[in-house]
Amino acid sequence: MKLTALLMVAVGSASLAAGSVKLLNVSYDPTRELYQNINAAFVKQWKAKTGVDLVISQSHGGSGSQARSVIDGLQADVVTLALAYDIDAIAEKAGLLPKNWQSRLPDNSSPYTSTIVFLVRKGNPKRIKDWNDLVRPGISVITPNPKTSGGARWNYLAAWGYALRQSNNDETKARDFVARLYKNVPVLDSGARGATTTFVQRGIGDVLIAWENEAFLAINELGKDKLELIAPSVSILAEPPVAVVDKIAARHGTAAVAKAYLEFLYSPEGQEIAARNYYRPRSKEVAAKYDKQFPHLTLFTVDEVFGGWQKAQKKHFDEGGTFDQIYQPGR
Amino acid sequence: MSRQPKLLIGLAFILGMPSMPARAQSTDQKIEDLEQKVEQLDQEVKVAERNKELQDADAASQAQNAASVTADTGGFTIKSNDGDFLLKIGADLQVDNRAYVGDGAAAGADTILLRRVRPTFSGSVYKFVDFFFRPDFGLGSTVIYDAYLELKYVSAAKVRVGKFKPPVGLERLQSDDDTSFVERGLPTLLVPSRDIGYQISGDAVPQLVNYAVGVFNGVPDNGLGDVAVSSHRDYTARLFLTPFSSAAKNPLSGLGFGSGISGGGVDGIALPAYKTFGQTTFFTFASGVTSAGHRTRLTPQGYYYLGPFGLLSEYTLTEEGFKKGLVQKDIAFRAWQVAATWILTGEKKSFASPTPRKSFDPHNHGWGAVELAARVGDFSAEKGIYNYGFASSNTSPRHAHEVVGGVNWYLNRLVRISVDYGNTNFGGGAVLGNRLSERVLIARFQINFI
Repeated sequence: MKLTALLMVAVGSASLAAGSVKLLNVSYDPTRELYQNINAAFVKQWKAKTGVDLVISQSHGGSGSQARSVIDGLQADVVTLALAYDIDAIAEKAGLLPKNWQSRLPDNSSPYTSTIVFLVRKGNPKRIKDWNDLVRPGISVITPNPKTSGGARWNYLAAWGYALRQSNNDETKARDFVARLYKNVPVLDSGARGATTTFVQRGIGDVLIAWENEAFLAINELGKDKLELIAPSVSILAEPPVAVVDKIAARHGTAAVAKAYLEFLYSPEGQEIAARNYYRPRSKEVAAKYDKQFPHLTLFTVDEVFGGWQKAQKKHFDEGGTFDQIYQPGR
Repeated sequence: MSRQPKLLIGLAFILGMPSMPARAQSTDQKIEDLEQKVEQLDQEVKVAERNKELQDADAASQAQNAASVTADTGGFTIKSNDGDFLLKIGADLQVDNRAYVGDGAAAGADTILLRRVRPTFSGSVYKFVDFFFRPDFGLGSTVIYDAYLELKYVSAAKVRVGKFKPPVGLERLQSDDDTSFVERGLPTLLVPSRDIGYQISGDAVPQLVNYAVGVFNGVPDNGLGDVAVSSHRDYTARLFLTPFSSAAKNPLSGLGFGSGISGGGVDGIALPAYKTFGQTTFFTFASGVTSAGHRTRLTPQGYYYLGPFGLLSEYTLTEEGFKKGLVQKDIAFRAWQVAATWILTGEKKSFASPTPRKSFDPHNHGWGAVELAARVGDFSAEKGIYNYGFASSNTSPRHAHEVVGGVNWYLNRLVRISVDYGNTNFGGGAVLGNRLSERVLIARFQINFI
């Protein structure tokens, strides 16, 4: 026993002496700025609390692609992806975390929410007000590929949900509506950030269907004189979840710090950072403080309209699903 | 002016007035249409550029992750981008022409044959697990010669499992395409060819001490097998030293020496039949004889290479139990050889085949590498083999002595033409005196890439 304790102290001292603890956060495309700020704040807090230097690396990409990378071996200590289905896939296909991962943190492991809005050129020359304007002939719509991007799947479901509302839940009409929308899509980027690049930097398209936070960031970056945000009449409540990848964190010895990192997202400081980066905070206090920042629109959830992500994924985005049937590239 | 012309002028003016704004409107419309067209074309160009950009990014990502395929002297290789997976496809093809001469020619028929036809599949998975599979379709039969995997997580203790050469004889461990003669020497008759088992091996001291220990099913001398015939096992070990290999300028850097040892029960193991250089069987056991008891082998061995010169020597002593009727005895067999080679074209000789400085290409004055080789060897069984009735002195000589000389022409790294002449004299093995000597000329055409 004594020898074991001595060995543990020796190993612990050696690891501390060896330098910093490293954490890899595999995230979806548009969260770069958010986690830059989160990481800086958490590293400072962790150092003050434990005296340990922490280095957090980030990986960003389309949520679906990122999940596949983790399944294929990317050593993520935590995943902060666009939708629960992608983390479910990691749990089911690679067994890297338990299937009940979503119940381990508050609010179904979603420390912040977002929604889907439109970004248009300043002055809204094409007079885009709502979803039905996106299917008008001659309108060019930018949205990423739902096969690779979590944001794109939120976009798709938001459009489908709108169409169901307009047609008294007529699935055929909803399918026709979304098919017409994708006929107006000239470029399918792999992720939300790529779609923003296409619209903002390359100047392609009349409207970008975007994460709300992406829309705000683009306006801030390019200028309010170049772009404006249009909130549709109805949209989807996007709940991007976060999780510790248990087996990888255990192997790296980072389980404790990974848990603390994700819990930080729910802290007042974490919620403030989220709100400042245009993510809708869960904290009522912080939400009230930033209430004027976010447009007020009617939101529906995936559970309410589609019966959950498992059903939505299977019906719309799996191989041979509705998206494969309605989207014909080079049509 | 009269009133009528004024009226006409006024009328003309009034009628002319609307056409001026109409022309202006048409021009504005055209300009607007053109602007829209330009904007549309601009968008189409941007879309095309962006799609190309995304395709290029996708292609670059795929290329980065794509496996590489190469074809070179090492065979055909498919390797994953991260190096975790490797597959090599190679082959070994040997075509021999055997011509027996002299009085002993009747023992063997002149023939052209496929001596070895061995495709090879080897590679690694996850960097630390090697696999090797080699069947042989030569001599009109299909045999799996090698099939094993090797775990290399600890380089000093690699674990090999499957069918492979047990670590006993030096020349046996040499690859078939690297031996200096078309057929191996007499000591190799007494060591196993292939056996199924486990082995741990590695460099106990890098570049100095190599070891191997293993446990196998047990096979006849110079034989191979696929299943154990009893619960007895053959235990092997080999230690080989290359004490000066790290000192490149040291004249002894090419010296290696060591020994193999094996021991185990032989009950049920088939009896061997020993063959000459010309591959004719010169020794068989008498009817009713079985292996019984124990077999022990000791194989001191060594080589020395200095520039184009090579020397290889080994001695095999084996003691094996046999039984006929109620008589069970241990019989000792001994064999040795000394083989010397000299590469006339000056390439460095080693345990592996030399690589010609210039491949054979007469158009560019390239002639490949030419090597002279000579060996002497001896095989003997103790006299008791006749006394106990285990073999007949009328048919199985208990002594054979061979002298072999040859020329190897390495056209390039992969192709070799060899011509060997072997003379084997026997002691015993005939009703009156000795079995007739064997004199045989063997030419071989060989291609090997692995």
